[in-house]
Amino acid sequence: MTRALEAESHDTATTHTAPARTDEIEGSPLDEIFSFQELARLDEALTMSSRETGLRFTLYIGDLGARTRAQAEELHARSGGNPTDSVLIAVSPGQKVVEVVTGAGASRRLPDRACALAVLSMTTSFAAGDLVGGIVNGLRQLSDQAGHPAALRHPH
Amino acid sequence: MATPAPRAVGADRLNQRPAGKLSSVTVAETILVFVGIPLAVYVLLALLIFLPGGRKRTRYKPGQPWDHAPIWYEPHPENVGAGGHEPAPGAAAVPGSSSAALGSSMYPEQPEERNTDTSRASDAHGAGGHGAHVAPRPVNAGPLGGARGTW
Repeated sequence: MTRALEAESHDTATTHTAPARTDEIEGSPLDEIFSFQELARLDEALTMSSRETGLRFTLYIGDLGARTRAQAEELHARSGGNPTDSVLIAVSPGQKVVEVVTGAGASRRLPDRACALAVLSMTTSFAAGDLVGGIVNGLRQLSDQAGHPAALRHPH
Repeated sequence: MATPAPRAVGADRLNQRPAGKLSSVTVAETILVFVGIPLAVYVLLALLIFLPGGRKRTRYKPGQPWDHAPIWYEPHPENVGAGGHEPAPGAAAVPGSSSAALGSSMYPEQPEERNTDTSRASDAHGAGGHGAHVAPRPVNAGPLGGARGTW
């Protein structure tokens, strides 16, 4: 189960332990934009949809410039890993635009129609003021639509 | 025989007023109790809420203009896979700035992991800086698909 991350880390570090992000960043804390609960929801949604489908879902939140589609496609090309099998969800809350970009391999499993349906569900949540919930629901829809290959199901 | 007057008991002994008259309360006391005390409660609560020094969080709320730097979240790499059938994906990066993607975990990617990624990339491409993290070069992903929505 997802539970709230603890903002105050317990001091269990040894001399070999690297500093946590909460120790390093003093000026802009990690939960400046989203709370730790929301970050945990985003994290779980991204990681689980990527693991279950074998596609690589990344989420970009920020300004997309004047030509939002071109910018989103350029970001997708730089999203790391293998862009053919990656899906980029780019949300620009200031411009009220969401773009979903799928690579060539990913678009075979995620046709544009499925992406449009997920985008519709996301924009409905965004318009209602629920940014994180919309993203999580959109990821869930995309992941369900892409299916879960049998090769990725680990025997327990 | 005259019946004796009943003895005053309890607090009645102290009150030497005639029967049927309550102790007098001034207007100032009434106002103090029925207006002053509620006002004091309201003021105390307002001070507790609105005084600075509490949680200073300027979290993003939908509808506000987005004046934060762009953030890019990527999934956790799957470390538990037994067979190395696929190389570990490099980190995403924003082309304009030098900021790499945040994995949303509390502990950042360590330099050793980063070095393995960059060395693998530099082996593949034949060039590349050592140690410094370079943004992944754009890879052509074939015909792109997707969707767009506004709200």
